[in-house]
Amino acid sequence: MINQDEKIKREFISPDIGNEILIVNTILTLIYFYTIAFAFPVGNKILFGILIFGEVYHVYQALVYMYTIKKMNYEFPRNMAYSPSVDVFVTVAGEPIDIVSNTVRAVQKMDYPNFKVYVLNDGFVAKKNNWHDIESMAYHLGVGVITRKKPGWAKAGNINNALMQTKGEFIVIFDADHVPHDDFLKKLVPYLIDPKVGFVQSPQFYKNYAKNYITLSSWAQQELFFGPLCKGRNGFNAVPMCGTNMIIRRDALSSVGGMNTSITEDFVTSMYIHQKGWKSIYIPEVLAEGLAPEDFLSYYKQQFRWARGSLDVIFSNNVFFQKGLTWQQKLQYFSAVSFYFSGIIVIIDALIPLMFLFFGIVPIITSTMQLAAIFIPYIFVTLYILEKTSNFSFSFRALAFSMSGFMIHVAALFSSITGQKVEFSITPKKQQSGNFVYLVIPHVFYIVLALVGIIFAFVREGLSASFITNTIWVFLNVSVFIPFIYASIPSAMKQESIKKILINEYS
Amino acid sequence: MNIVNYEFMEKTQNNSLQVLMRFIILCFCMFIAVGISYLFFQNQSLRLDESQSLWQSSHSSKMIISLIGQDVHVPLYPLLLHVWLLIFGTDIPVARTLSLIFFVLSIPIFYILGKRLYAKDTSSFATVLFSISPFMNWYANEIRMYSLFVFVALIHMYFLIDILKNDSRRSWIGFTVSSLVGIYTHYFFFLLLLVDFIFYLTNRKNFGFNAFKNFLRVALITSAAFLPWMTYVFFLGKISNASPNLLSPTSVDLFNMFSEFFIGFQNDFINTIFLSLWPIVILFGFLALRRNMVIQPGTIYLIMVFSIPTTIAFFGSIYIRPIFLSRYLIFTMPAMYLLMGWVLSRYPRFLMYVLSCLAVLTFIFGFTVEGLSEMTPTKENYREVATYLEANTLPSDIIVVSAPFTIYPFIYYYHGFNKVLTLPVWDQNKVGPIPSFKEDQLPGDINSITKDHTNMWLILSYDQGYSEKIRIYLDTHYQRLVIKKISPGLVLYEYKFSY
Repeated sequence: MINQDEKIKREFISPDIGNEILIVNTILTLIYFYTIAFAFPVGNKILFGILIFGEVYHVYQALVYMYTIKKMNYEFPRNMAYSPSVDVFVTVAGEPIDIVSNTVRAVQKMDYPNFKVYVLNDGFVAKKNNWHDIESMAYHLGVGVITRKKPGWAKAGNINNALMQTKGEFIVIFDADHVPHDDFLKKLVPYLIDPKVGFVQSPQFYKNYAKNYITLSSWAQQELFFGPLCKGRNGFNAVPMCGTNMIIRRDALSSVGGMNTSITEDFVTSMYIHQKGWKSIYIPEVLAEGLAPEDFLSYYKQQFRWARGSLDVIFSNNVFFQKGLTWQQKLQYFSAVSFYFSGIIVIIDALIPLMFLFFGIVPIITSTMQLAAIFIPYIFVTLYILEKTSNFSFSFRALAFSMSGFMIHVAALFSSITGQKVEFSITPKKQQSGNFVYLVIPHVFYIVLALVGIIFAFVREGLSASFITNTIWVFLNVSVFIPFIYASIPSAMKQESIKKILINEYS
Repeated sequence: MNIVNYEFMEKTQNNSLQVLMRFIILCFCMFIAVGISYLFFQNQSLRLDESQSLWQSSHSSKMIISLIGQDVHVPLYPLLLHVWLLIFGTDIPVARTLSLIFFVLSIPIFYILGKRLYAKDTSSFATVLFSISPFMNWYANEIRMYSLFVFVALIHMYFLIDILKNDSRRSWIGFTVSSLVGIYTHYFFFLLLLVDFIFYLTNRKNFGFNAFKNFLRVALITSAAFLPWMTYVFFLGKISNASPNLLSPTSVDLFNMFSEFFIGFQNDFINTIFLSLWPIVILFGFLALRRNMVIQPGTIYLIMVFSIPTTIAFFGSIYIRPIFLSRYLIFTMPAMYLLMGWVLSRYPRFLMYVLSCLAVLTFIFGFTVEGLSEMTPTKENYREVATYLEANTLPSDIIVVSAPFTIYPFIYYYHGFNKVLTLPVWDQNKVGPIPSFKEDQLPGDINSITKDHTNMWLILSYDQGYSEKIRIYLDTHYQRLVIKKISPGLVLYEYKFSY
C-alpha cells in the first residue's frame, strides 16, 4: 500500500488535459455569459449591473484558468553533473528552536558537493527572546549564522543582508519550518545549467496537513496553486517565487537589487526578475516539507497577509504597466493577484438571492429552466476540468475555504486601497488555542439573514418557483460557508475532526 | 495454523453472506417491480400508443412489417408482440406483461453493469432506484418497445464496458449482437452507437490494440444488417405520413425530461416544485468534489450516454425536425441512475445515507402519485369514456373522435351500437395517411355527420392543433349539452343537432 504522504506528493504529476474539453468549456462559458448579459430581459437595473460585474469576473477567471492549464507538462534542459556553489539560507525570526534545528539538520544532510548553510537569524531585530539560542544552535551544528542587528524590511531585509555577506553562485531559501529532502539540490540545480534561468521553484508542501481540520483545509487550498496553476505558468515563463523551497541565481537577484521589500517580497521579486528577461522554472515535485497554520487565527492572518500583499501589487506595481513583461506574463501575474477580488464577487453572488427573498427583485427576467439549461453544463464541465487538472485532488473543502474567505479578501482590499500599514508577520508554527468564532460572524449573520429572508419571501410569494430556486441558492451559499464556520470552533483543531476524512479521502 | 483457517472460514462466510444479501436485494428489486406493476399500472386504460401496438401486431408478420415501414419505428417489438399475443392471448394485461418481463430482466443486467463499473453497494443502490423508477415502471407497463429498448441498451452498454476492461472475443460478440438487436428495436439506438464511437475516439488509449478494427467491423455488420430495412422503408416512401405532430422543444421540455426520469409523469404543480429545485444539482456537484475520487473512463461513458443523445435530440429537434420525446431517450436513464449512485457514493457516509433515503422516498412518492392520481398528464382513460358512452347514448346519437388516430384505443373498449367516426373524416381500414385538417371543410364534414342523427358525442384528445377550432365551431353552431373531462387532455362533449 502506498503511504498517503507519498500519494499526496505525487499528485502534482498529472497528464495534460485534452484541448477538446477546453474548447467545449470555452464555448459553454461564452454562451453562458452572452445569454446572461444579452438574451434575457433586464429586471432591476442596479442588480443586473452587479450581476454582470460578477459574471465578468467569473468568466475571466474561467478563461484564464483554461488558458493557463492548456499545457501543464514541460521539459527543460538540465545537466545532472552541474554543481556550482550554493548558499543555503534558512530564514529565522523567532521560530521555536526545535523547528529550526530540525530544518538545519536536514539542510546539512542534503546530497550535494558544493554548498554552505547559513541561518539568517532575525530574532534580534524582531525582538524575539530566542535569537541567542538560535546562534548557539547554529554554532553547535557547525553552520554559518548571520544575525542582523540593523532592523528593516523583515524577511526581505534579512535575505538582502545575507546576500552582502555571502558569495555562492546560487542561493537557496528555506523558511525555518521547511525541511528539505536530501535530493533537493540534486533535483533543482541541474536546471540552472541554462544561464538564462533566474530561479527554480518547488512546491510548498505542508507535512502537518493531517494534524487537524485547518491544516487539512489549508493544504487543500494549496493544491490547485502548486498543481495545475504553477505547472501551467511554466509555459508562459511566469512562475512566481513562493518565498521558500527555491533556488535563485545570485546574478538574477542582484539584477533587481535583491529581494523586494513589500510584504509579499517573493511575488514582487519574481515579477522584477521576469522583467529583466530571466527565465523561471517550476518543478512539481515535493522536495521540502513545511508547516501549515494549525489554528484558525493563524490561518486567517496568513491569508490576509497574502491577500494584502497581492492586492498591493495591483495598486502600487500595476502589472499592466510593467515594462519588460510579455502580455502573457502580465496576464498570469494579474490573474494571480486578482484572485483576491473574489471576496467581492462571493458577496455579490450571496446577496442576489437575498435581494429576491427580501424585496422580490431580480437582475434578469427569465424562466428558471432557461438559466439552468445554460448554467448546469457550464459549471459541471468547469468542475470536471478543475478535478482533472488537479489530478482529482480538488475538494469541496478547498472550494469552501476559497469562497468563504471573502471577508479576508474584502478586508485586505480595503486596507490596500486605504494604504493601511501592515507589518510583515510570520505565520505561527505552533497551534494557538482559543475560540475563533468571532472571525466568522459575517457568515453566521448571512445564515440568520437567509432564514429571515426565506420566511419573509414565503409569506409574500407562497411556494412559487422563484421562491424555491432562490431559497436553494441561499442554501447553497450556506453549505459552502459551513466548513469555514466549523474550522473556527475549537474542536476543529483536534485530530479527531478529520479522522473520517483521512480514511475516506487520503487512504 | 488453526487461527489462519478460522479467519479464512470467517472471511468466506462473510463473503457468502454478502453475496446472499445482494442476491436477496436483487430478487427483492425484481419482485418490487412486478408488485408496483400490478398495484399501480396494469389496470390502467389502454393508451393511444398501446392501441396502435395491439392493432399493428394483430396483423400477419408481412403486414406488420409493411405497417411499421409506414410508421416511425422499427419492427422487432411488434413482431415479438405478435408472437406473444398468438401464444398467450390478446388481453391488455397479457400484452403489457411482455414489457414487464423485459423490465424485470433488465434489473439484473443493470446490477451487473453497475457492478462492472462501481462498488457493489453503489450498484445495489442504483438498482433499487432503477426498479422503483416511476418512469421506468410506467413504460414497463405499456404495450410499446421502450422496456425492450432499455433491456437491449443495457446489454449493449455492459458489453462496451466489458470491451474496455477485458477486450475479449465474448465481449465483442455480445457487443455486435446487441447492436444488431438494438437497431431493430428503436431508431434512437443509433444515438447509443454514436456515443460508443465518440467514447472510443476520446478514450482510444484505454482500449485494446485491435479495438478500432473491431469497431469498424461491428459498424459494417450493423450497417449491412440495417440496409434492407432502410431500402424497404425508402421504397415504401410513406414514413413521412406517420410522423407525429411534435413541437420544437424548449428548455422546459428538456428539464421536464429530467423531472420525468426522477418523479415520473406528474401534474404541473408537483413538476414546477421539483424543477425549481434545480440549483441543488450544483450543490450536489460541489459536494461530490472529493480527493482521490478519480473519474474513470466507465463514468465518462455513462456521462456521454446520458448527455450526448439528449443534446443531439434537443438541438436536432430545434434545428432539423422535432423528435424530442423523453420516452425515445429512455435508454439514457439507466446511465443517470448509475451516475446518481456513483455521486452519492462520493459523499461522506452520513450525507450519503440521508440523500439515498431521500432519493428512494422521492421515487416512491413519484410512482405512487403517478399510478394513483387522476391528474397524471399521460393517463388516457378511453376505457371510462367508452363505458360512459355505452351507458348514455341513444340509438340516434353519433360518436366522433378527434384526433382521428385516437379511434384505436376508443374502439378497443367501446362495444356499443352507435356509429363512430373521426374528424377529419378518415377510414382507418384504407391504406394511406390520415387526411390533414382543413378548416374550410369542417362545416361540410359536420353536415354529413349530422345527417340522420340527433346528438353528437365528441371525444377530443391528442390535440394536433385543430381541436380548439372544432370545439369553437360546434359551440357556435349547436347547443352543447354535456362537457366532461375524463382525464388530462381527454374531454367529452355532447351537442344537440336536432329535436
